[in-house]
Amino acid sequence: MTAVATESRSARRSDPLTGAHVNFARVLRSEWIKLISLRSTAWTLAMTVVVMTGFAMLSIWSVTQFVNNPEMMGGAEGAEAAGIGTDSVSLATAIASGYVMAQIVVAVLGVLVISGEYSTGQIRSTVAAVPTRFPVLAAKGVLVAAVSFIVGAVGIAASVLATAPMLSSIDLTLDLSDGETIRVLLGAPLYLAAIALLALGFGALLRHAAGGIATVLGLLIVLPALSFIPLDWMADIAPYFPGAAGERIVGIDNPGQALTPWQGYGVLGIYVVVVLAAAAVLLRRRDA
Amino acid sequence: MIEARGLTKRYGAKTAVDDISFTVEPGQVTGFLGPNGAGKSTTMRMIVGLDRPTEGEVTVNGKHYAEHKAPLREVGALLEAKAVHTGRSATNHLRALAATHGIGRKRVDEVIEMTGLAAVARKRAGGFSLGMGQRLGIASAMLGDPRTLILDEPVNGLDPDGVRWVRTMVRYLADEGRTVFLSSHLMSEMAITADRLIVIGRGRIVATGDVQDVIDSATKSTVRVRTPQATELAARLQSEGVTVTSVEPSLLDVDGLTAPQVGEAALTGGIVLHELTPQSASLEDAFMSLTAADVEYHSGAVPEHQVDETTVPEGANR
Repeated sequence: MTAVATESRSARRSDPLTGAHVNFARVLRSEWIKLISLRSTAWTLAMTVVVMTGFAMLSIWSVTQFVNNPEMMGGAEGAEAAGIGTDSVSLATAIASGYVMAQIVVAVLGVLVISGEYSTGQIRSTVAAVPTRFPVLAAKGVLVAAVSFIVGAVGIAASVLATAPMLSSIDLTLDLSDGETIRVLLGAPLYLAAIALLALGFGALLRHAAGGIATVLGLLIVLPALSFIPLDWMADIAPYFPGAAGERIVGIDNPGQALTPWQGYGVLGIYVVVVLAAAAVLLRRRDA
Repeated sequence: MIEARGLTKRYGAKTAVDDISFTVEPGQVTGFLGPNGAGKSTTMRMIVGLDRPTEGEVTVNGKHYAEHKAPLREVGALLEAKAVHTGRSATNHLRALAATHGIGRKRVDEVIEMTGLAAVARKRAGGFSLGMGQRLGIASAMLGDPRTLILDEPVNGLDPDGVRWVRTMVRYLADEGRTVFLSSHLMSEMAITADRLIVIGRGRIVATGDVQDVIDSATKSTVRVRTPQATELAARLQSEGVTVTSVEPSLLDVDGLTAPQVGEAALTGGIVLHELTPQSASLEDAFMSLTAADVEYHSGAVPEHQVDETTVPEGANR
């Protein structure tokens, strides 16, 4: 008891509580502490970099194989079928190709950042501290988007560095002064940031890890498989699926495509905004 | 100060809290007593804005909880033992909560010290025992040094030392002028800790008032008398307006007189007594009689003596 008494009194004397109130910067800081204090975060992010670099090396290795033995790869036709090119933008898409795996990791992170709070009961502490609730979702959004972008950028940087010796061995280089090359390389982190936000939105809507992850991966991986159904209207709508549209930002800007890279990214952005808006409304209205 | 007016919560067809109004005053420990499923937790969750009332409203210190600029400074709530991410350490959990209000590390260390968590503060909360989880919940509630404390079953899972610590702390906080509102399903616990009681059953308030008044109103004290002249004694007492029930031939239960009074009445009438025993119902009996009609989950019949032995904790014999 005396412990409580002295603690409370000394608390008031030195006043560590003066000026204590909620604002967005503080919620952001709180969410940052939450994010980095889970072991899974560091693992996830390290894995993203490793996976991206690994994929880049694998893709560039195929390019070196092709350059060294063109006839083994079926000549120019075979290379085109396999999507192998030796111009700077094609090399950039090969280097950035790890985003396909990285998006899975980032999607899981985006879902878990919110669903983990529901599965453990943490959400009740969170919402009691920030009863207006919206700043919590906004802060989580800012953080998962920023972290995914930065990790994606680090992954791309590591990929560029790791593949540089391989490329120079076949006398090829990335032209980093080329706008399209840079757009493809930056496209990967941009795409990952958007996917993380989409996943956060579904995590907040469904409040369940398995449900959220299944939904996001279903949209990104299963939905594109439907585009192989030979129906006219399917071919028309397939480019507007969230994954297909968003991936344009990491792809080559062919005139034949339904969407330009930035249009495609914009379409993905619309999905993100709609899902997050729905999540924000429900977060306010539902019981925690 | 907590004020609820016409507070109602329905989940589909089921009404968890049914149009209740009450006030919890500062400077006192107010107990919220009711059987499991009576609506205690739902009410508390509505106070801190976790659940939205279907009808009615509840304010804390004059405002809805969500309207406060520094909610943790107004209300500290322990709503269930583990409202904590299992993968995070106690320290990091408290740091994250404190950060929302710009409360510094110093205060985090203070509440860790205060709740006796220092030894486990760096361990993952997922591995905590129920008691440690409860202490962490109380530490979270104390972070903002709040004017109002809401504690849902705070002694649940605590060892005797912890139970005592909670009682003393709660008393101290109320004496400092804070509002303390704590729930329990144990009347004996309330008898020790609370000043006032709000008794709830099936979502409705069944009694309010000072603890002793509520207990007295619900507790029936009787005197058991064994006498070969039972009929004679019964007639004598009944003529004075006392209620007498016959348990078996030569055995009476007298309601409304003390044992000495019954003894004296017997002496006056020249009646031989073989036994004269004051019987007071236990606190649990009082609680049962208050909420008898309102218990949601009835257990099957259990022999009477067994109930007495197993459910009256040490605290009942203060």
